[in-house]
Amino acid sequence: MSRLDDELRNALRREDPGEDFTKRVLERAAALPPKRSWRERLLAVFGPAGNRWAAGALAASLLIGVGGIEYRRQQRMRAEGEAAKAQLMVAMRIAGSKLRLAREKVMQVGEE
Amino acid sequence: MRKLPILLLAALPLWAQEIRLPPELNRLSAKAVETVDVTLEGPLLQMAAKFLSNEKPDEAQVKALISGLKSIQVKSFEFATPGEYPESDVEAIRSQLRAPAWQRIVGVVSKREGENAEVYTKMVNDKIAGLVILAAEPRELTIVNIVGTIDLSQLSALGGRFGVPRVELPRQKKDD
Repeated sequence: MSRLDDELRNALRREDPGEDFTKRVLERAAALPPKRSWRERLLAVFGPAGNRWAAGALAASLLIGVGGIEYRRQQRMRAEGEAAKAQLMVAMRIAGSKLRLAREKVMQVGEE
Repeated sequence: MRKLPILLLAALPLWAQEIRLPPELNRLSAKAVETVDVTLEGPLLQMAAKFLSNEKPDEAQVKALISGLKSIQVKSFEFATPGEYPESDVEAIRSQLRAPAWQRIVGVVSKREGENAEVYTKMVNDKIAGLVILAAEPRELTIVNIVGTIDLSQLSALGGRFGVPRVELPRQKKDD
């Protein structure tokens, strides 16, 4: 038990960092590159300012283009679906009315 | 792979039971004053079903009806004068509707009014798997061909309470 205490005491004892410790820390901090914000890092990906504008315009055009195509596709699908629904409703109404007519004719014959 | 031809041969009688409307029928649209020609099958039928509303009673009714359908084909011609379609066109369909696959459940022939109505069904495992309606009147010919399971009483309820309702949706109206 006393041996463990001794080892702990030895490991945690104070040590003098030396006189130039503060100086070394400051020198090393000065040597590090300045920390950039996420916006600066993102802009750096696109290179110089002119390229950035071009990339931005290209991305915006692509977005508008893809959005427009998708919108038109949705519109076309909706129109086709509505047309198919209208046709289906007509078909089912005609089928139903003719079936009813046949049934009514059978009943008429039965009554006569 | 060896079993494939056998499976195809086994499926052949089922396929053969589907009726084909004669291409001559399409020529009637040239003579008719009004034509309705609707063919919906597979993906188009499913797409139509997706657009049917559950809120509107008639659409909800149709939605429930078509859940078991594979295809629906309706051809309806209205003529200005009687006798503008040949009986052979009707006979070409009637000849395909033979027993045992098909059974005529209604057959009304009115020589006085010239109005004939026939309803044929195809039964599979005690369920209606196909329905053909032939309604031939002096100035009107209607053929309905439905493939798939369908409830006849629900279908009949769709047709309005008295007689044949006027249909407002896409009729190909001729000017002459």
